[in-house]
Amino acid sequence: MTSAEALGERIDRMVASSPYSAPPEERSLALLEMLKDELEYTCERSSALRNYVRHWPVDVRLAQRIADLPYLPVRLLKAQPPLSLVEPGEIKRTLMSSATTGQLPSRVVLDSATARRMTKGIIVIVSDFIGSSRRPYLVVDVPGSVRGRAELGARGAAIQSLQPFASSATYCLNQSSHGELTLDLEKVLEFADNHRESPILVYGFTYILWNHLVKPLIAKDIRVDMPRVRILHSGGWKRLQDESVDKRTFNEGLARVFGCRTDDVIDFYGLIENVGIIYPDCPAGNKHVPAFGDVIVRNPLTLEPVEIGEQGLVQVCSVLPTSFPGHLLLTEDMAEVVADDGCPCGRRGLCFHFVGRVEKAEIRGCGNIERQRVSGRLRDL
Amino acid sequence: MANSVHIIDSPEQILFAAQRLRDTVMATEVTPDTILDVFEAWAVALGARDTADIPGVAFLRLWLRRGTLEPIIARELGPGALKGDWMQDGRARLKACPIGVVGHWPAGNIEIQPILSMTCSLLGGNASLVRVPRDLVDQTGRLLQKLEQSDTARIFARRIFVAAFGHDRQDLQEAMARVVDGAMIWGGTEAVLAVRALPFPHKARLAVFGPRISVAAMSADIWCEKEERESWCRRIARDVWQFDQQACSSPQVLFLERRAGSSPIEFLEGLKNAFETENRVHPRQTIHPALTSAICHARASWLCADLANSALFPASPDWTILVGSGSEIPTPTHGRTLTVLEVDDLFDPISQLSEDVQTLGLAMGDPDREERLASAALKRGVNRIVKLGRMHTFVPPWDGVDLIRPMVRMVRYVRSAD
Repeated sequence: MTSAEALGERIDRMVASSPYSAPPEERSLALLEMLKDELEYTCERSSALRNYVRHWPVDVRLAQRIADLPYLPVRLLKAQPPLSLVEPGEIKRTLMSSATTGQLPSRVVLDSATARRMTKGIIVIVSDFIGSSRRPYLVVDVPGSVRGRAELGARGAAIQSLQPFASSATYCLNQSSHGELTLDLEKVLEFADNHRESPILVYGFTYILWNHLVKPLIAKDIRVDMPRVRILHSGGWKRLQDESVDKRTFNEGLARVFGCRTDDVIDFYGLIENVGIIYPDCPAGNKHVPAFGDVIVRNPLTLEPVEIGEQGLVQVCSVLPTSFPGHLLLTEDMAEVVADDGCPCGRRGLCFHFVGRVEKAEIRGCGNIERQRVSGRLRDL
Repeated sequence: MANSVHIIDSPEQILFAAQRLRDTVMATEVTPDTILDVFEAWAVALGARDTADIPGVAFLRLWLRRGTLEPIIARELGPGALKGDWMQDGRARLKACPIGVVGHWPAGNIEIQPILSMTCSLLGGNASLVRVPRDLVDQTGRLLQKLEQSDTARIFARRIFVAAFGHDRQDLQEAMARVVDGAMIWGGTEAVLAVRALPFPHKARLAVFGPRISVAAMSADIWCEKEERESWCRRIARDVWQFDQQACSSPQVLFLERRAGSSPIEFLEGLKNAFETENRVHPRQTIHPALTSAICHARASWLCADLANSALFPASPDWTILVGSGSEIPTPTHGRTLTVLEVDDLFDPISQLSEDVQTLGLAMGDPDREERLASAALKRGVNRIVKLGRMHTFVPPWDGVDLIRPMVRMVRYVRSAD
């Protein structure tokens, strides 16, 4: 057995364990050792990352906390060609993050082992929230979001990650030639008629669910009663905040349309670079960290982990990837630590609230020059 | 000036304030000499505990001293200008007169800049209408209170109006632009372009400062000299620390000339020590999370981009030294991130500079060579060439422009009898 295979087996065992039951100290110790080994694995495969780790101010071998290990800023995964720890022939799929206009998306390469663990990770997490049985799956999106692409976007990846919970999948949006999304009402009504009494899974991006399902149905005063539905959504609140739609309004709108409880609506935070891990809201409204990953919320002033009740930059940690360096990633998101253990929902370990994206700093200094010609050629960091 | 900073919500408030300022300038004349008396007292008052901790106040106090400003007034406005006298120019006479109301749009990153900018136009006898960025309202208010205390004759009471409103209030920005006779504009590309696009009167004079970046260069004979090394490192750290490296005069890169057989490791260690010391003396109080992200990204991307690159940095975002080689200026990160680039010959990077570089901070042992380098730099568009450690010393010309004269009319009078 090669060292990579041995590492893979250890990761698989960690993923197979109960995601939220281990005491925090025990979990942290196991993760620290695993992440150190994965850093070593990364350095063996990437001279560039080896150079970064070599200059890290803490000796990785002596690190006592996960927080001391060298993390990569997530923007580094926007590199083209994508950062990879495997040979090109081993890459089965490339996931792409959503990117705002003019920005490059992150690119995450998956080999078959990482893809398999990604699926397993999601199954373990989501099962803990909605159970493991398969059920009819209503996707509030267009079928083209996932179909047979070597490169998969954030929406497609999220849709596909829930596929293991589907007995059948129905996509209920159409896309015009101009890219506009419209609700296929007949399809939704037919789905409701066929599965009214069954457990149902619904997924959509947050703003898509609201704009292309809830709003049109409320406007027509249509209810698709499916009281046994569980509705998962992700993608963030930025667009709905711009429309002054808060979480309560959103949940109540969905509950009204589906005839379910607002508790059946589950918001989850996730990012494409943190494959295989998502952070659904528990009934207490908190997000939890599974056994095979961690979240460190860092004070922007010191980069030290924040205290309970404080906000900071989110670092995600994961043992899952072996095809790209996604083990320790400093995101550009902000979160607030709610508790280091003891959530009323019973899940162990750190729980947090997602706060939002890091706002772009106001360009205000007289030394803030646009990326333009400074010398003959401008080198981009 | 009463109540220091006015929170503005309507264009009418700006119109009213501007009219009062204009009336004052028309009705009363104030000489630079009188102004300097007040500024001297103000400089003393700023040493009080409640203002001394504002970043840049030591610098401001020095700027307000008569010893600093008298020579500047004499150079820019002529020897008689201090007392408001006419100056003989052949058979004609010249006198420096105010243009009226000068608007100020300072950058948001430098706490003392609203005040610095304002003093420039006041010295020309003008009234000042200052827009203060939201983040600087508190500090500017405290600095102005000290001026109020020092201005016993109340000569500035109706010559200064400081307005605070959001940069996104286009109606207020436009109202302010319409009522001024001149403007001093400071800031980054986006800010400067936005202000320049405001509807200024056709006659308004605009003095634009920034956006620029600055670089430093050190010859091998300097960094190889053990005895002087520590003090040079201290000077570099001081230049990097001021204004959190966001000023146009902040060095973003240090070009280090190679010497065969000598390694810069000891110098870099000295620079690291100087950064650590400066950080202990002047620790950051706050940071925007986006800057923290940018610093982390700069560290990682630098080290991943080239295996020959190295870096020194603590676990915190307090400071960063990125080390490599080459003559190209990297995109600035700011936030105390200095890129040190080794070059074979300092003339290589200098020959690639452009007019976007404001200040070149130098440390060179050979004066003749330094002069040749300075000549090469000025041809490339550099406006200030100074000793390392003095890159922020605020002495005109700044960005190649005088600070008082642009907002002054030089009136020429030839007697009819002559």
